Amino acid sequence: MDIEQKQAELIDHFVNQASTLKASAIWPLIIEATSHPSLFAFSEILSTPTVSELEGTENSLCLDVLRLFAHGTWSDYKSNAGRLPQLVPDQVLKLKQLTVLTLAEMNKVLPYDQLMQELDVANVRELEDFLINECMYAGIVRGKLDQLRRCFEVQFAAGRDLRPGQLGNMLETLSNWLATSDNLLVSIQEKIKWADSTSELDKKHQKDVEDRVEEVKKSLFLKVS
Amino acid sequence: MASSSSSGLTFKLHPLVIVNISDHYTRVKSQTNGCSDGGPPSPPPRVYGCVIGVQRGRTVEIFNSFELLYDPVTHSLDRAFIEKKQELYKKVFPHFYILGWYSTGSDAEESDMQIHKALMDINESPVYVLLNPSINPAQKDLPVTIYESELHVIDGIPQLIFVCSSYTIETVEAERISVDHVAHLKPSDGGSAATQLAAHLTGIHSAIKMLNSRIRVLHHYLVAMQKGEIPCENSLLRQVSSLLRRLPAIESEKFQDDFLMEYNDTLLIAYLAMFTNCSSTMNELVDKFNTAYDRHSRRGGRTAFI
Repeated sequence: MDIEQKQAELIDHFVNQASTLKASAIWPLIIEATSHPSLFAFSEILSTPTVSELEGTENSLCLDVLRLFAHGTWSDYKSNAGRLPQLVPDQVLKLKQLTVLTLAEMNKVLPYDQLMQELDVANVRELEDFLINECMYAGIVRGKLDQLRRCFEVQFAAGRDLRPGQLGNMLETLSNWLATSDNLLVSIQEKIKWADSTSELDKKHQKDVEDRVEEVKKSLFLKVS
Repeated sequence: MASSSSSGLTFKLHPLVIVNISDHYTRVKSQTNGCSDGGPPSPPPRVYGCVIGVQRGRTVEIFNSFELLYDPVTHSLDRAFIEKKQELYKKVFPHFYILGWYSTGSDAEESDMQIHKALMDINESPVYVLLNPSINPAQKDLPVTIYESELHVIDGIPQLIFVCSSYTIETVEAERISVDHVAHLKPSDGGSAATQLAAHLTGIHSAIKMLNSRIRVLHHYLVAMQKGEIPCENSLLRQVSSLLRRLPAIESEKFQDDFLMEYNDTLLIAYLAMFTNCSSTMNELVDKFNTAYDRHSRRGGRTAFI
């Protein structure tokens, strides 16, 4: 997926910088990472040792902000706005994009009303502009906007960082997919066998009929002669 | 005789060449087999020809080939013919040069080196394309090998020996269509619906089997990651999660409607065809019955039983 390739260099760059900087200087780096227009993956930065050491110290707010960007949405930020530091407009935009990604995780069809509520957008025009300019042109989402039914059908959405529990869900989905395709293979095999056996039966039937015709012809011939 | 080449040339082979060589071989084989029947099966004939193409820098691209007559007496190829053909091809494809020659057989032989040396004055390093015509059902790759000649010192004497090189298959759009066509050949007497259905279903089956094996690989990878045997690679996990989110791929209401409508239409048409078939058979039966039991024809205006 091209998004991952685009991000790979950025992730490496930020991880290198994070390992070299000291804990107190991490905050500007986090701001830069979260405002960067092409970066949507933060779990690598979260797992660098310098960042994880921030837990419990006076800079733990930075860690919370980073975690919010990795797993949370705009509504999470609003409910905790008192605790967390103020976000710059770039970060606000990024968080809203990530919110769209999270919503796309749940449903394939996102109604405009839900999107407007989650993103704090007043009218449909602004919502559509946001979706088209920020999400589709950035390549993180692909889908169709249905104005008549006022919903957004998602065909593809880039992955967000995984929470620890989500790996189990993914495994379950994969095993379901595997089971379905196995069943499908078995039923195709059966269909092939059925087609072959019915054609055999048919040929046999044809042969039987022809044999009977031959018999009758012979008996008539004998009768005549 | 064959080790791996070290010249650094990359070879690109077009499917047209392979089809040409195989066609030449098949024609010659069927003609010689047609003449000599009743005797012991003769060894498979060897066919010879030239390959032509373009060489740009270190890349050798073989586009086309033509056949040559091999003179078993003088162990040489017809020189005048090669020149003539080269001239003709130059008029149509000005960029093509004779890059080498081809033959059939299972392995490169000593006598091939003579032909190779003879061609070295046309092209200072010709390539030798060898097609193995024996059918091996267990083999997965193409039975085509490309040999180059290299000067190796063996027992103190510098000698030219054949070394094999790797090659890739390169296709033009037109070639892709014909290769696809050949790949989907149905058996010529498989006109019955059952064999066609079976062939189609087998195609789908193999496609789904490939998908299945790939999903299985992903599954194993994730299980290993969960158990901790492999360090978590976040970028991959993100891609897998975005892939899984696309499932189920088609489940909207519109799809169900369209699908059911098309399904019903197909069933209806099949039913109608069955009806027509039945009524035509019934008609024939009635006609035969009339012919068989028609005693008093046209008496009293009443013609038939029914």
